Amino acid sequence: MDYAVETTDLTKCFGSLTAVNKLNLKVQKNTIHGFLGPNGAGKTTTIKILVGLLKPTEGSVKVLGQEVHVDDADSRLEIGYMPELPKFPKHLKGAELLDIYGRMYGMTQQQRAEQIPKLIELVGLKGRENDLIGKYSKGMQQRIGIAQALLNNPELVILDEPSIGLDPVGMVEVRELMKTISKEGMTVFLSSHLLFEVEQICDHVTIINNGSMLASDTLQNISNTLGPAMMHIELTDLSDAVISAVKKLPFVSGTWKTGSTLLIQVKTYDDVRAQVSQAVTGAGGVIVGMSQKTSNLEEVFLQLVTKDKEAKPNDHDATE
Amino acid sequence: MTTTQQSSRPRPSWFTRFWAVVRYEMLWNIRKKKFIGVLIIAFAIATIVLVAPVITSKTTGVPITANPNYAITFGGSSLVFFLFAIGTAMNSISSEFESGNIVPLVTKPVSRTMIFLGKLFGAFVIILVSYVILYAYITLSSVLVYGPQNDLQFMPIILIGSLISTFIWVSLLFAVGSISKNTILTVLVALGLFLSLFIAIPLVSVIAGASPSLNYLPGSGAGGTMMINNVNMTINTGTDNLGVNMVNYFLYPQGNVTFSKINIQAIQAGETALPTTGVLYTEPISLVALRALGVAFAYIFVFLFVAWVVLKKSQILE
Repeated sequence: MDYAVETTDLTKCFGSLTAVNKLNLKVQKNTIHGFLGPNGAGKTTTIKILVGLLKPTEGSVKVLGQEVHVDDADSRLEIGYMPELPKFPKHLKGAELLDIYGRMYGMTQQQRAEQIPKLIELVGLKGRENDLIGKYSKGMQQRIGIAQALLNNPELVILDEPSIGLDPVGMVEVRELMKTISKEGMTVFLSSHLLFEVEQICDHVTIINNGSMLASDTLQNISNTLGPAMMHIELTDLSDAVISAVKKLPFVSGTWKTGSTLLIQVKTYDDVRAQVSQAVTGAGGVIVGMSQKTSNLEEVFLQLVTKDKEAKPNDHDATE
Repeated sequence: MTTTQQSSRPRPSWFTRFWAVVRYEMLWNIRKKKFIGVLIIAFAIATIVLVAPVITSKTTGVPITANPNYAITFGGSSLVFFLFAIGTAMNSISSEFESGNIVPLVTKPVSRTMIFLGKLFGAFVIILVSYVILYAYITLSSVLVYGPQNDLQFMPIILIGSLISTFIWVSLLFAVGSISKNTILTVLVALGLFLSLFIAIPLVSVIAGASPSLNYLPGSGAGGTMMINNVNMTINTGTDNLGVNMVNYFLYPQGNVTFSKINIQAIQAGETALPTTGVLYTEPISLVALRALGVAFAYIFVFLFVAWVVLKKSQILE
């Protein structure tokens, strides 16, 4: 498999603190890959290693098939990176900044003349491109940050919390933008704490905590293999015999009674409706309706992180 | 957006990327209020120095004596060199770290060496252009105030000397800025060193005379005299007088500079009422000029090397 990002036992320590711990991250090309973790999980540290800002303590990193080294300028030719809360020189105008960065990428005057106005419009800064960045609001700085990350039509775009500071309309626009650029062949690696954002646009998700990977797969697979599911069964009459019969099923981890509705938490995402139905009717119950709901990313995320915290209660939070 | 994937994108040349950094730095410099302030101060100092004799002449009625060597001996001052260095380089590196601008910059396809050299060259171009304008102004004003000027073909040497002198401070600011990543600390260290030398050199001169050790410090160095056509000409050595002494060497290649010490003890003992001097040592002007050049380059090289290594090794935690 050809990966846009591939890390092998990536470890980064700051003194006695392990910010990233033997991380084996794989980002498939032409996907939108969400990178999730609570504050201090090591997301930003990982990203900084990917873009060559930090040197790993151990392990290796390949981006677009090339080993990443600190200060390897050529390895960044095909990467667009937007840092978390990006800061740009206040003395430059928005268009000037993009022009200078475009020159650094080796874009010709014609390429810059075509690409810069397009990006300015795309990120919603038209009419403000000739203002000094020092006069930009936080949201506008975020927008110019997105523009500079897309300037070189990179193969891989790394976005660290791109929605911070944006208004709701801006957040929707950014999500649409990520979908568009992904369709056009770019790989998007998105670090975000907005789970609904990740859920809406990402094909793949990696969840980390305390620098270690907790899960990495497609959203569907993560939900299926890790997340609990709830079944809602509506009966004409909910008896204790029915509850008792359901509880005996090996994949049931919990039951709750709400009027004539029985909520069942199951440990698997296999379709177990037939077995449940058999158990209910066998105990004399009459089913009016039945549904099985998969957990959303938030539930999966919370479950994984909570489990990890319970398993390693003494681990320190890593730096972001 | 229409994106065109450029997987076989040609690699931009080193010079293209370097020049982009130079533009980045130059745009910053010319928009810095500090730099504009320094430029105004430098022109104000030059104007005051040139206009003062005119005002005195008008007041006293004594005509200004023609001085055909005025422009060529107007070598700039330590303060001007220091101010230009501060105006362009005080936050060139440190502010990138303080503001967080370093993150998007170093994640572009430019190496830290390119960034370092681009910033250095940007500062060089800005100071060079400023000095060309400043020295053109001084030369023109000298002609107006002191009459036709001799040896103006040596003005570029004065200018180069001033640039080298300024770059000692620029290099120091780059080095301290790279290490501390803090603009206030960078300025305080540079200002502290400048003021220390400004005070220490005259003090050493009074106590030990024109000690040879002064020639190895950045700044005004030791003071001596050179006999030219039976006239004793004051020669200030040191890196700040590099340009003037290179011109002196071209004009008087056989000249010798005599360094003396004032006999303070004799005055204190009441042996003499007027200060007497004793010759400490004599050196050819060629040695004075070349040594200042060597010392200046040694400082520049060491400071820049430190700045480059530190910048290259920096991990960006911002």
